[in-house]
Order: sequence, then C-alpha cells, then structure tokens
Amino acid sequence: MKLKRLLIWSLIGTGISSVTTQLLVVREFLSQFHGNEITIALCLFCWLLLTGLGSFLAKGIRRSSLKTYALLTLTAALFPLMMIVLIRGLRDMVFVHGASAGFYPVLFYISAAVMPYCLLLGFLLPYAQKLCNDQGYGLVSGDIYLIDSIGDILGGALFAFVLVYWVKPLPTMALTSMLLIVVSLMLLHISGKFVLLLAGIFLAFVYLYYATHSAFERRTLSGQYGEIVHYVESPYGRIILSKEGTQHTFWESGLPLYSDADVVRSEEKVHYPLCQLDNVEDVLLISGGLGQTLSEVKKYGPKHVDYVEIDPYLTKMALATGTIKSEPFLEIINMDGRRFISETKKKYDAVIIDLPDPDTFQINRFYTSEFLSLAKGALTQGGLLSIGMEYSPNYISDIRRSKLSTLYATTRNHFSNVTILPGGEAYFLCRDGDIRTDIPVRLREKGIQTDYIQGSYGGDVTEERIREINESVKKNERANFDFKPRLVQLVFQEWFVIHGTSPIYFIIVLSGLTVIYLAFIRREEYILFCTGLATMGVEMLVVLSFQVVFGYVYLQIGAIVTAFLLGLLPGVTIGKISEKRPFFKIVVSEISLLVLLIVFLAWTLFLRKEVHPLYFLGYGLVFSFICGFQFPVVTGMIGEQKSPLAGCLAADLSGAAIGTFATGVILIPLLGIRSAVVFLILVKISSSMIVWLTNRTGNAP
Amino acid sequence: MTRMMTRKEFLGSMGLGTASLLCAASGFGFPLKKGPKKQDIQKRIFPKDAPQERWKWSIEGFYYDTDGDTVQCLVCPNQCVLEPGDRSVCRSKVNMGGKLYSLAYGNPCSVHVDPIEKKPLNHFYPQSLVLSLATTGCNLRCLNCQNWEISQRKPEEVRHTELFPNEVVKAALARATPSIAYTYSEPITFYEYMYDTAKSVKEAGLKNVLVSNGYINEEPLRDLAKYLDGANINLKSYDDDIYRTLNGGSLRPVLDTLKTLHRERVWFEITTLVVPTYVDSPEMMKRMCGWILSQLGPAYPLHLLRFFPRYRLTRLPPTPVETLERLRETALKEGVHYVYLGNVPGHEGSHTYCHNCGKILIERQGYHIGQYHLEQGHCRFCKTTIPGRWKEQTELG
Repeated sequence: MKLKRLLIWSLIGTGISSVTTQLLVVREFLSQFHGNEITIALCLFCWLLLTGLGSFLAKGIRRSSLKTYALLTLTAALFPLMMIVLIRGLRDMVFVHGASAGFYPVLFYISAAVMPYCLLLGFLLPYAQKLCNDQGYGLVSGDIYLIDSIGDILGGALFAFVLVYWVKPLPTMALTSMLLIVVSLMLLHISGKFVLLLAGIFLAFVYLYYATHSAFERRTLSGQYGEIVHYVESPYGRIILSKEGTQHTFWESGLPLYSDADVVRSEEKVHYPLCQLDNVEDVLLISGGLGQTLSEVKKYGPKHVDYVEIDPYLTKMALATGTIKSEPFLEIINMDGRRFISETKKKYDAVIIDLPDPDTFQINRFYTSEFLSLAKGALTQGGLLSIGMEYSPNYISDIRRSKLSTLYATTRNHFSNVTILPGGEAYFLCRDGDIRTDIPVRLREKGIQTDYIQGSYGGDVTEERIREINESVKKNERANFDFKPRLVQLVFQEWFVIHGTSPIYFIIVLSGLTVIYLAFIRREEYILFCTGLATMGVEMLVVLSFQVVFGYVYLQIGAIVTAFLLGLLPGVTIGKISEKRPFFKIVVSEISLLVLLIVFLAWTLFLRKEVHPLYFLGYGLVFSFICGFQFPVVTGMIGEQKSPLAGCLAADLSGAAIGTFATGVILIPLLGIRSAVVFLILVKISSSMIVWLTNRTGNAP
Repeated sequence: MTRMMTRKEFLGSMGLGTASLLCAASGFGFPLKKGPKKQDIQKRIFPKDAPQERWKWSIEGFYYDTDGDTVQCLVCPNQCVLEPGDRSVCRSKVNMGGKLYSLAYGNPCSVHVDPIEKKPLNHFYPQSLVLSLATTGCNLRCLNCQNWEISQRKPEEVRHTELFPNEVVKAALARATPSIAYTYSEPITFYEYMYDTAKSVKEAGLKNVLVSNGYINEEPLRDLAKYLDGANINLKSYDDDIYRTLNGGSLRPVLDTLKTLHRERVWFEITTLVVPTYVDSPEMMKRMCGWILSQLGPAYPLHLLRFFPRYRLTRLPPTPVETLERLRETALKEGVHYVYLGNVPGHEGSHTYCHNCGKILIERQGYHIGQYHLEQGHCRFCKTTIPGRWKEQTELG
C-alpha cells in the first residue's frame, strides 16, 4: 500500500505546485504585459482551457505505467521554473523591446508559454486515476478530485498567507514543488528505473540550484530592466529600481513609475493646484511623491504634508536611495489612499492625486464619485483637489474626449468649479471657489521659481488650448462610479484602439468552438460546464469587487483563490457521501447557486456597502462548496463504469475558462460588473433548465 | 547487473536533459540579450477601404502613376500600389476609379499657434509664433508616436475644421503669425494640401515650415522646397534596423531628404529622439555626425530630445539626462556646431553658443529669451556668422 500512499501524495504535491505556479504565472504576466484585469482573465482563461484540453486528451488512455506517471510528475515539478524563465526571456525576442503588446499577441504568447505545462497538468489527474484503477486501489473520480483539491488548497494557502510576503517567485516554486519532486523520485525508484532516477536526481539539483540562486533570478529580469539595483516582490507588485548611468528608475509591475529629473511633471502636478491657494499649510499627496515632487511642494512652506503610498517597499526603497528626502513636514503613510481619506479626521488645503489613468479597478477607485465625495470631505473650506488624466495636446480623440468628459462630470458632482489645464496631462483643478489659469503670474506673485512653468507655460498651455480642452468636454456625459466604472471601460476601449485590435474575431471563434463542444458533451457534463463557468465568473467578480472596495487585490488574490479552492473540499466530501437522490441534490445545488448569484447582484445594485473582506472570502467558499458538491454527484449520475473523470474535468475546466474570458475580458471591462452577474445568472438558469428537462424526459439515472 | 537503456528512457532523459540545459543556459544570458532585434513593423495598405464617393475635402493626387485601374502613389518611398477601392499605408490616399485622390485637403484636425522653438527650430526667427496645422495620417508607424490619435487615423475618423489654402493664409494673418507649420502628424501624407497652402502662403509674404519625418521622394520634395523657408526633419536614428523596428521605415530616404533640402537651400534643423537602448549609443552618434558633416556640413543644428514613454513604447525609462549630455558632447566634438538638448527644462544645452568664441548668444528659458547677442546674424562678440534665419533683437516679442 506504500505505492497508493505515494500516489496520493503525488496528487497532493501536484495540487500544491500547480496552484502556486498558476498564481506566480498570473503575477508574472501582470508584470510582463499590461497589468490589468484583461491580462489576469486571459491568463486564467488559457490556463483553464489548456488544462481542460489536457484532461480531454486523457480520455483516450487505455493503459498506464508507473514509470510514465513518475516522469510526468517530475516534469510537472521541474517545468514551472523553465516556464517562468522563458516567459521573461522570450518576451523581448517575440515582441519589440520596450513595447507594449496588444490583445492577440498577449493571448498567443500566454497560450504558447503555458501550453506544455497546462496540457501536462490536465493529463495528470485522469492518468493518475487510470493508474490507481490499474493497480487496483479503487479510487473513484470524486476521490481524485478531492485529493487534488487538498493539494490546491495547501498550495493556495501557503502562497497567500506565507510565501507572498517573503519569497521571490523562483524560490517559491522551489519550495512548493519539493514534495512533488521527492514523491516523483520515489516513484521512479519503485518503478526500478535507476538510470532515469539518477537523471531525475541530477535535474532536481540543477533545478534547486537555479531556483534558489538570487543572482539567477535577477538575471532573468535584466533583459527588460537593464542594471537592477534593488528588486522586491512586494505583495502589491514587482518593484524594481534600475540604474541607467546616474539615473535611477523605479518600475512597478513592468512599467516605469518614476525616473530622475522629471521636471515637467513634478512642477505641473504641484504648482497648478498649489499656486491657487493663498496659504498652503496641509497637503495630502496620494501617490506620486517620488523625486522632485516634495521639493516643489516645499517651496510653499507647508506645515504638514501627508504622502500616502500603499506599498511600503516603494517608499522604503525611495528613502534609501534619496529619491524621497526626509523633511520635517513630511509624513509617509503606507496604506491604501482611499482607506486613509475615509478614515482621516484631518482637513487639507489641497489633495493632489497622482495616479496613472484608471486602467484597473484598483486605480478607478480614485476617479469615482464615491471617492471624490470622501476627498471633498477632507478638504478645508476653499480647499482644492487636483487629479490628472492622459490626453494628447494636439488633438483630443473621441475616446479621450469621453474620458475627459466622464471625469469632468464626476468632479462636477462635487465641486462648483472645475477647470482643466492642458499640460503634460490634463489636470483637473476642482474647487468651490476661483481657479486661475495664469499660473506663471501666480508663481511670480508668490516668488516661486520654476524651471519649466515660467519659461514654457505660455507656449504649451496657451489660452487657446485651455479654452479648447474645457470646451471639448461633453456636458451630458455620465459620471464614473465604483460599480459603474465608465472610465475603466473607456480606458480598455482605448487599449484596444492603441494596439489596433478588437477581441471580436476571437469571441466569434471561441463561441463557435464552444457551441461545437457543447453539442458533443453529455447533459450532466453541461451542468458541470455551467457551474465551472459560473464559479470562475464569480471568482473574477469577487476579485474585481474586492479590488473596487479594498484596492489591494494583488496582495489578496491568493487568499481569494484559496477561498474558492477551500470550499471545494467539503463540497466534494459531502457530495461523495451518498449516491442516493442525485437529481434532488443537483436541483438543490442549482437553486443555491442561483440564490447566491442573485445575492451578489442585489449587493451591487442596492447595498454597495463596504463589507468586511471575510464576506468576500466566505462568499467564494460557499460558492465553490456547491461547485465541489456537484462534481461527485454528476460523476455518480454518469456512472464510474463510464470513466467520467476526464470528461467531467474537461467540462468543468472548459466552463471555467469560458467564464473567465466572458466575465474578465468582455463583460466586466466593457459592460460592468452587474452585466456580468446577470450573464452568470442566465447561464445557471440554462443549466437548471437542462436538469429540469432531463428529469421530464426521463433521462435522469 | 547492468542493463541497456530503452529507447523511450533515452528519449525521456534527453528531454529532461535538454530542459535543464536550457535552464542553465538562461543563466548565462541566453535568451536574454537585449537591444534592437530585426523585427520589422509591417506596413500594409488597406484593401477595399476607400469611401464610395469623394468628399468635399479631396483632390486628385499630384504624383502618381496609373495603368488605367491600378495606381502607384509616388510621393513617399512607400510607393503604395493601389487597386481601385484601396487605401494607402498613410491612410490619406485612395484609388477611386483608377485615379489617386487625397482625402486630406482643407480639413485640418489640429490647428494651433505655437512658439517656433516648439517645432523645434532654434535658428529660425526666434521667439516668433507659428500657425501649426495637421490633417490625419502618417507613412511610418513609430511605436512612440505622441500624436498617434491623428497620425494613425483616417481623415474620416476624426473631427476636423475646414480651412482651404487661402483660408489658412487668412487665419495666419488674423492671428498675426508670420509662419505656417505643417506639423503634428506627417505632412507628407497631406502633400497636396501642404503644397497648395505653401504656395498661397509664399504669395502672401509669410513663411512655410515643414516638420516631418523626411520620408518623401526627391521629386515632390524638390517641388515643395521652392516654397519652404524652414524645416525640422526627424532623423530617428542612424541605423536601418532601428528604423524598421521602431518606425516601420528605412534610413536612406531620410538621408536623401536632408541632402535635397541642403541642395535646395532650405534652412533646416535635425531632431533625434534619444530612445534608451536603441538610439543612445555614442558610436551611432559619431557615425551620424560623420555623415552630417560630410554631406551637409556643420551648420545645421541638431536637437537631441529626451524620450518619455508614449503610445506603445511604454516599457522603457526616460532617457537619462547624462546620456543626452554625453551624446551632445560627442556631436560637438565630432564637429557639429549647434547641438541642443530638448525636453530637459532649464538645461544649459537649450542655449545657443557661438561656435567660434563659445559665448552665449541666445539664452533660453523655455520659449522665452533672456540674453540675445546676435547682430544681423552675427555673433556680437566675435562677429562670426551664425547660420540660420534671424531677425533683430528689437523685433523679438
């Protein structure tokens, strides 16, 4: 029975290793490509679909061998390292160095990069079951699913609660694949293939050497960043400080965040708002405090400046390198800016928000009506808020016009006077009071010297351009809200325009393939397909809603994924207990899923209150519990004699992939969170109808 | 007891061994070599994309060949061959019924008044204003284009005003701008509009300024040059591979443009955006300056601009100021007389220094001029002739 135990451990090891690898690969792609929800969704979509395809391919297995299984598991343990190295290294060979990539190139790159691993992963579970059956261990489909889930949960929890805080990607992989490596080598030993065993041991040592070698990890990143001075995998993203000659550049998740001597931006973002005020005593700076910014603020002699930056690693690194200089008036606060502004009792003369365009839900939280309401509450009487948005100085395209108009409508909900200054960015100055556009005159009055504004403002920010941009905003544009993220939708549309692509062709092909696939699967598998779809759709919704409410999904994505995995375990266990009344069980579970989805919809429609993070995790746990519950019930309905595992896994994973894509790439970004929930409700209604029809036509077992 | 390895075992071991070798090789820099690769940006015409009917803002093309149905545009080196209904690479030209038409005539989408230094032109009537206009379109595909919203759009896709050539002159006179610049997007793509406007502008006694990537054929350029007073040509790099990778063009036509402008005695200045890891090598700068000196001489100013991430080229840092300074030194040392740094406010590299005595001639604070030591185009201190087009200090605004 030693072999049986080893096989069980190999499944647990596969779960631990694969979940960690998935989370690391998602984070890696967030750094390699545009770090938004579309990238997360594309990555999960490819992962799930290819894993499903791997399971599907395993349908044809007629015989199994221990040696093959051992080699497959060893490969599954060692391959992730190479996958990450190749993702980093090949990017600049496939794409132009320094250039962003569009939808299709990202999709193909992700698919190609994860394909070998995911196919292998999907193949492994059915193969393990076949092996167990051939060895006479009597593990049914539900058992395999259960054991794999245990591994998944362990891996997710280990990553989310421990490794994400301390360990870089490659050592994380080494740690989480250790169990699988050891078990694989033991299986090779049992199979009596000593040459392979020696080769495996050698490879394991090579793997561990590179995975734990920090210089190697840095080297894999130097292709993009050049000379790396500091490298931190912060819970919020990948922070890198690079050096180009004497210049330092801070990178956050693959994009340059700040470089030395960015005079224009520093002066514009500080002086346009602050010169409006007669007295500058208290200033709140939400992000963007690196470099010259604070020295420009200092010219006003403020009493106190609160600089809020969510990531402590970023400010720590900046302080260490002198990119932020300690000042008596300066207080650095490492917390979410929105949370800070909702909790603070202080009042500020100016709130300066310096964030990129809202290309994620996290950033969008600072561009919404809800946030501006909070921010206004933190302003003194006559205080001023400044927020910027990208635009093109020579022509404002329709999308950018809509973006500017949306932000204008949002700010005008809270401030009686909103003036846009067309600098390097479009700066929205918002105040219940006068706003002047003769900035150099104001600066002269205050005796403040600048390098850029005094010499160039008159040529760059002309009266004509100021008039043009302020007149360009459409007065009837909708405002931007947390759960109606109009700006995010526009930024995503712009992203597609910039890269000259549209997902429409892919959607058509995918829909066609889905219809063909659905035409060939069993009705029972369709239930799992829909449940997989709904579960991953809900997972995306929870991730993004969490991001909307709390704004730090990068940190918590592991916890959310773990919650979704954690529910599977008791679900599968309870679903396996008895094979009686399967139809009743399916009906109850279908209704439960629908109720849960309606609860979610109701929350986004009516409540929208900030709830404790545990509610999100609890919701995910309950949802996945039902998902897990359905799996053994459905395989039981089909009957073990028909070897249902591969087909059911394929249906579950394919549904999950489609759910991820539909919600993450199309519905949430382009139509909003509520549309996505409604879609999932409709999907679950369709599977409930199938259950009902199956019963009516008497096809139920 | 020894036993032979089976074929499957051998293949399995080889697979794992290869994997480990690839891992190991990664540690020694494979496949992580950075720098430009020979990745061409593919430029394509737009088949069957022409509108059904001509619109008001169109005119028959000036330079093209036709065999009755198919036409070939001869304005720029792309030389697009268009079947009826096709649209050119630059998006402005279409084949309608066997004739080539420009859809960018009298319909600028961007009209602004700028300081001439913003073009940048530092030796062309300093501190004067210029009426700047653009329609859509570009014959290149630069990954860092800062005007991509018009350069990578079709004329029908944008909002535009109506300003036919004669109205441009009126607009310039109304705004008291002595010059008109064809700029922002790529004026070569609205050649016909630019040509007719330049003619009217010249007749009205105003000046014409071309701000371009220089990707134009010689004949149309020579004809246009008769009306040009000044130009800024963007020499994006001195490496054909980089041109292909970042811009979707090639170097030779741009060099030819510079030679043609020189021969036609049009005052021009050269701009190079110093893109980190692509256009920042002193060796390239030396070669570039060598070519400039041998073919054009040392008089034409060279502007080295600091790069900031834009459009699709967002994963590079801004150019280090130190790199710009080093390249400026290299260019000066090579013999180019006037080398300026752009996008670095407050830097001394924005001033004009006499190439003979080294004294400051024009001290710039952004677009404002502090000190001005030119007298009738000569250095006030050593009387050396300073190349350019000048007016006297009293005229400065």
